[in-house]
Amino acid sequence: VAPTWTDRTSPAMGTYTYTYTSRPRPPPCQRRRYRDSLLQPAEEPIRYGNIMYDRRVIRGNTYALQMAPLSGQPDPLEIQRQHQAKRRALARKRAQEQLRPHTPEPVEGRQHVDVQTELYLEEIADRTIEVDMECQTDAFLDRPPTPLFIPAKTGKDVATQILEGELFDFDLEVKPMLEVLVGKTIEQSLLEVMEEEELANLQASQYAYEELRNVELAEVQRLEEQERRHQEEKERRKQQQWEVVHKHNETAQKIAAQVFAQRYLADLLPSVFDSLRDGGYFYDPVQRDIEIGFLPWLMNEVDKTMEYSMVGRAVLDMLIREVVDKRLMMYEHKEDERLSFRPGDRLSGPGAVRDPLVGPEIQGQSTSQSQGPPPDRESLPPLDGRYLEKLSSQERRLLEEEEDEQREMRKSSGKEEPSQ
Amino acid sequence: MDATTAPHHIPPEMSQYGEENHIFEIMQNMLEQLLIHQPKDPILFMINHLQLDNDNVPKIVILGPPASGKTTIAMWLCKHLNSNLLTVENLIAKEFSSLAAAARKHYQINKRVPSMQLVRLIQDRVSEEDCVRRGWILDGIPETREQALMIQTVGITPRHVIVLSAPDTVLIERNLGKRIDPQTGEIYHTTFDWPSESEIQDRLIVPVGISELETAGKLLEYHRNIVRIFPSYPKILKVISADQPCVDVFYQALTYVQTNHRSNAPFTPRVLLCGPMGSGKSLQAALLAQKYSLVNVCCGQLLKEAVADKSKFGEVIQPFFEKDMAVPDSLIMKVLSERLNQQDCIQKGWVLHGFPRDLDQALMMDSLGYKPNRVFFLNVPFDSVLERLTLRRTDPITGERYHLMYKPPPTTEIQDRLLQNPKDAEEHVKLKMDLFYRNAAELEEFYGQALTINGDQDPYTVFEYIESGIINPLPQKVP
Repeated sequence: VAPTWTDRTSPAMGTYTYTYTSRPRPPPCQRRRYRDSLLQPAEEPIRYGNIMYDRRVIRGNTYALQMAPLSGQPDPLEIQRQHQAKRRALARKRAQEQLRPHTPEPVEGRQHVDVQTELYLEEIADRTIEVDMECQTDAFLDRPPTPLFIPAKTGKDVATQILEGELFDFDLEVKPMLEVLVGKTIEQSLLEVMEEEELANLQASQYAYEELRNVELAEVQRLEEQERRHQEEKERRKQQQWEVVHKHNETAQKIAAQVFAQRYLADLLPSVFDSLRDGGYFYDPVQRDIEIGFLPWLMNEVDKTMEYSMVGRAVLDMLIREVVDKRLMMYEHKEDERLSFRPGDRLSGPGAVRDPLVGPEIQGQSTSQSQGPPPDRESLPPLDGRYLEKLSSQERRLLEEEEDEQREMRKSSGKEEPSQ
Repeated sequence: MDATTAPHHIPPEMSQYGEENHIFEIMQNMLEQLLIHQPKDPILFMINHLQLDNDNVPKIVILGPPASGKTTIAMWLCKHLNSNLLTVENLIAKEFSSLAAAARKHYQINKRVPSMQLVRLIQDRVSEEDCVRRGWILDGIPETREQALMIQTVGITPRHVIVLSAPDTVLIERNLGKRIDPQTGEIYHTTFDWPSESEIQDRLIVPVGISELETAGKLLEYHRNIVRIFPSYPKILKVISADQPCVDVFYQALTYVQTNHRSNAPFTPRVLLCGPMGSGKSLQAALLAQKYSLVNVCCGQLLKEAVADKSKFGEVIQPFFEKDMAVPDSLIMKVLSERLNQQDCIQKGWVLHGFPRDLDQALMMDSLGYKPNRVFFLNVPFDSVLERLTLRRTDPITGERYHLMYKPPPTTEIQDRLLQNPKDAEEHVKLKMDLFYRNAAELEEFYGQALTINGDQDPYTVFEYIESGIINPLPQKVP
């Protein structure tokens, strides 16, 4: 069977799939078989093909292989190809016609004419000769009934007759038969009656038995009921007892647990309070109040008091310095006046003495300022009274003029440097 | 008398359960929280508190002078215990908080945060989810007594307070070498803790304020303040010397943080003493029994008593004694359980020695429900054991027992007639020691919470170690 191009998909898609089908056939065998003319009917030469070596089978991956792109452009190509194929087929047919042997063409000047060479000439006309013939049967008749078949009579006829009293005496003969008949009948009826009686008896005894049985059954049922009630009662009582015991056990356990818990946690509250107190959450409010409220205030006040005393000392130092400065200036002034009158060698003595006097004085002043606080601190108790007196007199002034003093202190320290 | 006042048989499982699960401490913590918060719905509050289950979460305060390494220790502890670190810097660096922003402004101006704001910041931070779940470590807070009191008033109580201390000169010198990594915030030192990666080395910067004068000033202020903080944390404070290598300090801090403080929970000691022959178990057991009125249960003694009393157990045991074979475990267990089930053992507690010798015996004892709550292993080196045992002698006439080294006989006459117990012969002792050491490893693994004590010391020293092991709660191990 030849391969076919089948349109698996619509021509609009443009993809064609190729299928190849072949009927299974026996492979060609070279040896002669019995009646091989029958077995092998004439067929076209076997186009044997191994698809492994068939060029039409696509090898490699077929993922990118597209029979025809999706656009409709190649369709005309296909149609064109088909047209060409048709044209080729026609051409082939024509070629084959040409190959068939024809009568040769007439020679020059001659003409070929068709002629009939039969014994009797036949008119060849376009119209065929027709003849019409008709026939008709009668209307339908009923089929007549089949005549009876009476076969011809054969054989001989013969007759005979028996008169009354010739064969037997009815009364005599009938007796035993009658006896037997009647007797059997009576016997049969007797039997039936007896049977009936027996049946009645049986039934009566059965009734009696059933009665007895019913009574016994009732008794048994009663006993069973009783037994069941007893059983239930027993079960109930057992259950009750079990519950009581169980509850008793549980209660004992609960009590044990409660007693144990009480004993175990007996120390809980004191422990909790102790730990909270250690953690600082519970504090003595008085102590805390003193610590937070009172002590800072106290320290503040002490600070202020100390500051006052220091300021007082500073002021005192400044006063001393001013006085000494003034005295010094006055003294120098006087010395200058005296020096302008007297000769110079006397200056050297008192001058030499004075300079070291002035020197250590100024130095003493500066050291007194810096040493003022330390010795004062050491000797604070005895001097306190004196300073406090000074303070009380100067307190108000100090409070108002504190900034001035600070400025003066800065000035005095400024004076110290150039004087040193 | 009604059912509640009748004498009760309280099953011992109850007290074991209470001890194992630390019921007393749980109740104590819950009550403390209840008293601090005083909620409107106490039951719901208690349920939530119990569900949180954060009693054993680390709550540590680390204080110390500048350059003592507290930030380093705090960070290491944080990593090790998987907890949260709270410092002044990271409290004020918190975003989305007006309080933190105000604190930041103050810090930029004055270089310190006012106490009220700081305490409120701490309160907010500690009540956050991750601090509740994993605990917190405060580094350098509280700085003054005022802050400490405020923190305590709010109800934040640490469980451990570590104070690092070192001489001032060391600290001033150490502070000069301080370097900070600006990216991770970790602190390194030029001499003691130099990072190994060169990229970290390159980006280290010198922090401000580490000159000698500034350090001295900070130290002065620190000393002024720390003295007044000490009395705020009386029982939970520990001073660790910071003048040692970092790792040592960390190790000490870690061990301390993992110990629980003594609580008032009722406790019946059930002590197990394990050790080779001659380690002093019977002596220690006798001392313990005398001091704490525990019941001294010596396994060998029990068996001998059973045989001597000719009880039904004794009759079964006697053939083993006669043939000098080891008594089977099941028999020993029966005799032991009979003794341990008696009322005085249950009430007063017991000291057991000479029993489980290997893992099977230990498993059997455990399955019957006799779980000791303190196990001690006495380690004595082999030579000491030999010395202790092979020099034992007995005087056959007076019955007095002497030891040729520790308690020599007074006269040579007595010494001549002394005899040695064949059980004290060297080969026998060696055999017993080998037997013990073969099983010791398994026993140590089985009793995970056992304490090992050096038994090679003076008996009263060893006794003190055992006492402290019994009285202090078992340290919790890091999961």
